Amino acid sequence: MDEPRSVKFLGLLRVLLRHGVDFIVVGGVAAQLEGAPILTLDLDVLYDKAPGNIGRLLAALRELKARYRDPAGRRIEPDAEKLQTLRTHLLLTELGALDVLDAIGNGRTYQDLESRAIGYELGELRVRVLDLAAVIESKEQANREKDRAALPVLRQTLAMKTSHGRNEGA
Amino acid sequence: MAQPPASAPDTPKQAPGPPAESPDGVDLTLIRWTLSLTPLQRLELLQDWVDGLAELRHGRAAER
Repeated sequence: MDEPRSVKFLGLLRVLLRHGVDFIVVGGVAAQLEGAPILTLDLDVLYDKAPGNIGRLLAALRELKARYRDPAGRRIEPDAEKLQTLRTHLLLTELGALDVLDAIGNGRTYQDLESRAIGYELGELRVRVLDLAAVIESKEQANREKDRAALPVLRQTLAMKTSHGRNEGA
Repeated sequence: MAQPPASAPDTPKQAPGPPAESPDGVDLTLIRWTLSLTPLQRLELLQDWVDGLAELRHGRAAER
């Protein structure tokens, strides 16, 4: 597989949705969709670990020719067992970098955060996106340097959205 | 009651309208702009940034 020049956000979402994968967009793309000008080079999704969903996710990842981003350059592909047991899957696909996560922040799962997801219509696609307050909480909990660096913009955006009563979700 | 002068010599002039920057240095104009866009436009904007970076990186790699 040729290295993709850059991630194709809509393309990745389209494949996941076509396979009926239950997921929530989190991380930088969620922040951007919520209005925070954050640059990110991958798509992060939080997935439901229900057995049926693991199968749908695996089918989507196979279509995307996903493999783990392995520093040693080995070709390691995701499988049902890894998706069921491992927590973080940092993948490279033919449409760019895709991080498939079973928990974010201090261990919050799809079930924990489902109520914090907002439905967004992106053209013909309908996706669920973690709300900005929950994105902020997850970054505060993760507390990595890159998370801390993004927090001032995220907090300011949330303050401005709140003061204007903005909520674009469908 | 005495009023402060409209522009004291040692007071920086404030631009009219909402502030462009927060006290901690966040560019508020950029946030206002992204908030004015639809969610799809925001994602397309992010895609443009990412594609632009990739082009720059690819161009630089080709120069080496």
